Amino acid sequence: MNLVARLRSWLKWIVNGRRLDREMETEIRFHIESYAAELVRKGMSQQEAMREARIEFGGIESHKDAMRAAVGIRWWDELGSDLRHGWRLFYKNPAFSAVAVLTLALGVGANTAIFSIVDAVLLRSLPYRDPDRLVRIFFNEPGVGLRDVRFSKPELDDLQTRADVFEDVSPIFEGSENLTGAGQPERLEGVNGSFSYFSMLGVTPQIGRLYGPQDFAPGFAPEVVISDGLWRRAYGADPNVLGRTLRLDNDPLTIIGVLPPGFRHPGPTISGEPEVFGAGGFSADPFPKPMRGTRILVNGIGRLKPGLTLAQAQARLTAMAAQLRYDFPADYPPQAQWTIEIQPLQETLVGKVRPMLLVLLGAVILIVFIVSLNIANLLLARASGRQQEMAVRLALGASRGRMVRQMLTESMLLSLIGGAAGIATAVGTLGFILRFVPSNIPRLNEVRIDWMVLGFALLISILTGLVFGLAPALHAAKGALSSAIREGGRGSGYSTKTGRLRDVLIVSELAFAVILMVGAGLLLRTLRDLFQENPGFNPTQVVTANIELPNPNESEADPYLDIPRRANFDRELLRRMKAIPGVELAAITEALPGTNTNPSAVGGVAIEGFAIEDRPVESSENLSAERIRISPDYFKVLQASLLRGRSFSEGDEDGKPLVAIIDESTAHKYWPSSDPLGRRVRFGRDSTKPWRTVVGIVKDIKSDGLDIDGVPHIYVSTYQDSSKRLSVVLRTSLPATLLEPQIRHEIQSIDPGLPVFGVSSMNGVLDRSLASRRFSADLVGGFAGLAVLLASIGIYGLLAYMVGQRSREIGIRMALGARRDDILRMFLRKGVALAGVGIVAGVVFSAFTASMMASLLYGVRPHDPVVFLIVPLLLLAVAALASYFPARRATNVNPMFALREV
Amino acid sequence: MGKQIDLLQGTLDMLILKAVSLGPLHGYGVLLRIQQISGEQLEIQQGSLYPALYRLEHQGWIAGEWGESDNKRKAKFYSLTTAGRRKLHAETEKWNRMTSLIAAILRTTSEEI
Repeated sequence: MNLVARLRSWLKWIVNGRRLDREMETEIRFHIESYAAELVRKGMSQQEAMREARIEFGGIESHKDAMRAAVGIRWWDELGSDLRHGWRLFYKNPAFSAVAVLTLALGVGANTAIFSIVDAVLLRSLPYRDPDRLVRIFFNEPGVGLRDVRFSKPELDDLQTRADVFEDVSPIFEGSENLTGAGQPERLEGVNGSFSYFSMLGVTPQIGRLYGPQDFAPGFAPEVVISDGLWRRAYGADPNVLGRTLRLDNDPLTIIGVLPPGFRHPGPTISGEPEVFGAGGFSADPFPKPMRGTRILVNGIGRLKPGLTLAQAQARLTAMAAQLRYDFPADYPPQAQWTIEIQPLQETLVGKVRPMLLVLLGAVILIVFIVSLNIANLLLARASGRQQEMAVRLALGASRGRMVRQMLTESMLLSLIGGAAGIATAVGTLGFILRFVPSNIPRLNEVRIDWMVLGFALLISILTGLVFGLAPALHAAKGALSSAIREGGRGSGYSTKTGRLRDVLIVSELAFAVILMVGAGLLLRTLRDLFQENPGFNPTQVVTANIELPNPNESEADPYLDIPRRANFDRELLRRMKAIPGVELAAITEALPGTNTNPSAVGGVAIEGFAIEDRPVESSENLSAERIRISPDYFKVLQASLLRGRSFSEGDEDGKPLVAIIDESTAHKYWPSSDPLGRRVRFGRDSTKPWRTVVGIVKDIKSDGLDIDGVPHIYVSTYQDSSKRLSVVLRTSLPATLLEPQIRHEIQSIDPGLPVFGVSSMNGVLDRSLASRRFSADLVGGFAGLAVLLASIGIYGLLAYMVGQRSREIGIRMALGARRDDILRMFLRKGVALAGVGIVAGVVFSAFTASMMASLLYGVRPHDPVVFLIVPLLLLAVAALASYFPARRATNVNPMFALREV
Repeated sequence: MGKQIDLLQGTLDMLILKAVSLGPLHGYGVLLRIQQISGEQLEIQQGSLYPALYRLEHQGWIAGEWGESDNKRKAKFYSLTTAGRRKLHAETEKWNRMTSLIAAILRTTSEEI
């Protein structure tokens, strides 16, 4: 029928209820008085007329009630009275209400906090124009097992002009740069992209302008755009900053614009957010001549043309790659199967942390369920106490539906109060909570409480209210009238109906607790395995520090341009480090163990293809390894064991025969049946480059993270092939904090423009590399602990309640000769049996949930027998303990008192 | 005033719609008009008029508006909406069909079967 009209009048009533109520009365009064006036005209006295009119009208209140019912507003009135009733009940049971609201606040608060992270990281679109069209571009060589290889300028041009897929593409160089000329030299994260980088992302500057085609320079442009953060920190938010010059790695750059506060570069970085943004044409100095085979570019992102799906775009790119392989056979060896792949940018940014966040979300939702089951239990206990109230209501004509509604309203009131408290807690403590979240989770700075988060929190509150309200509500509705009154009258208690419902609640609570504990057990075992994992060296008493030599675009301004000059620096650095009192040994490495987690960043050690002398190209499938440049004493400092051959010596320098040391993984993989010592290898495909001889084999060192195995490494001497990113490793018994000033002093006495960063013990480095694993394991572990606590409270409460209700029965049993042990056993059996059922159910469910966690585990199988054995036993023990106390109380029942109580 | 007839179940709504279709009326006016048209033959329980008015207003068939009565007092006047006019029309049709049907049934003599 006329739904809109009804809805409107309904809303009108809800909004203006009081005014409409007054109008209703005015209307009735008008009627009565008009009628009375007529009666007076017919000759009645005023007083009598009024009386007569009132009588003829009938009961005003009941008519008003009917009028309210006529506009369908009665449920609203009833809701109000239910709420007032519920409020009085909570007020009367302050202890119960406090416990319920507090646990709910905890549960909902934790959910809100975790969900706000999930929302920011996984759900919200990237904060750019049409983010769905942004993709990351990968160049792969599946034939030789390489992914995300570098690409050349002509290949970049192909993407832009030939592929007919992209509106814009940009290579992305991410890396740290040394900012000088503004006080203490500072290390900044920087990004260099193409001139369309900003227009591709759809950014508008805060002040000044961003790059455009007019800035085009074949090499690097002499301009720079800075972040809001840098602008505030280094320039005090000076609006006249435009046109000023800053030096990055010695290159003078003119500031042309400042980015808006919210802008963030969409990519992984070595550490922190990029703050300086350069642009270049990538085709002239400092870049080599653009040739198809000169692959110097890393990390491409692109914006798809409108209307193109990912699959269509991918198909075109695959076709183009095939055509290119055909057109330029010299640049694309057939066995490499060079190809192009695109992935949604969002996926490449957050894909890695998705499993962890989803596990956390799952855990926190389980917790709130356990919380609500516990409250359901409390409410159910109360509902049994209210049986008489319910029975009387039923007897007086309340409908069962009406009573269910009342019980649900009470639970909803409770859950919404708890939810509001939880949301308030989460909002208030979010900043504090985020400090514990490992910073390598992307997009953390976008975390905030928005409508989505609030909506989720509200949903969770309502769901919990339903979960814990439904049991007592149904119970109230089912209550058989006569028996309830009689039972209530007799004051006996543990009716089988409530009993069964409460049993189900306890069983589910335990099952949930098992799931959480198994998850926590697996994560904690993973963490323990990782810490106990031999990283291939001895990390104690090692202090590390990072330096990055400047990489100016003008080669004349580069004091570290070539290998001999860098070798000089390295030697001076090592001499000074060894001279620090307390330092026994010093060495240099390009990649600290456990830190090479972003190989595609500039300075990250990427996996490279290589060739083995005298091995036919066709048979050498999958030849790739990470190249790490080290100084001679590196293995000695780390106490890594050299298995065969020799370490590098000071003599392995530029101009001498090139040498290499391989690790066990490389040896097993590429020389499974022969001796690699003395064999020769060469990185890249350039056959004019000289070979390097394998002179030693070292035990595997976990360079790429403690949880990554089997990556082949080839070490080369830093005096023969050095990089600009280097870390010093010092063997010393002194703590890092004590050494830091001296390390800094010594390095800056070589070159005052060199910032020193990340001074830390090696153990600290390894520890940080596991930060996000530790975070999730700790969190899930904490939730599991909470779940066990709540479950045992549940069991305890149930049995204590039973003992109280059945004290008469216990008294009779004891009077008839039952021994205390029998009584004890009776209640213990009940508790343990319930726990047993819950645990078995939980184990079955855990078998599923654990498989879903497989990607988060290391060294532990999802169905790890130890975890699956210990968790049930532990919970059973806890359940037995929780049952023991109420059971023992049952044995203290004095039969005389219990019987007389009746 | 002769013996009044009790209102048939469910016909009050129709009578109210008819009454206000002749011009806006306040509640008491509706009562008077129905009694007047029926020649004082119908008995309407005065109080039960209002729930019916509210229901009709809620369903959007009549619209209430506050105005001034003949004796210069504030009163709520109801008038028929377009939807109400359609409803009244449909109800009248139904009523006529039903009464003629029932009348025909009641007229039936034994020969006609």
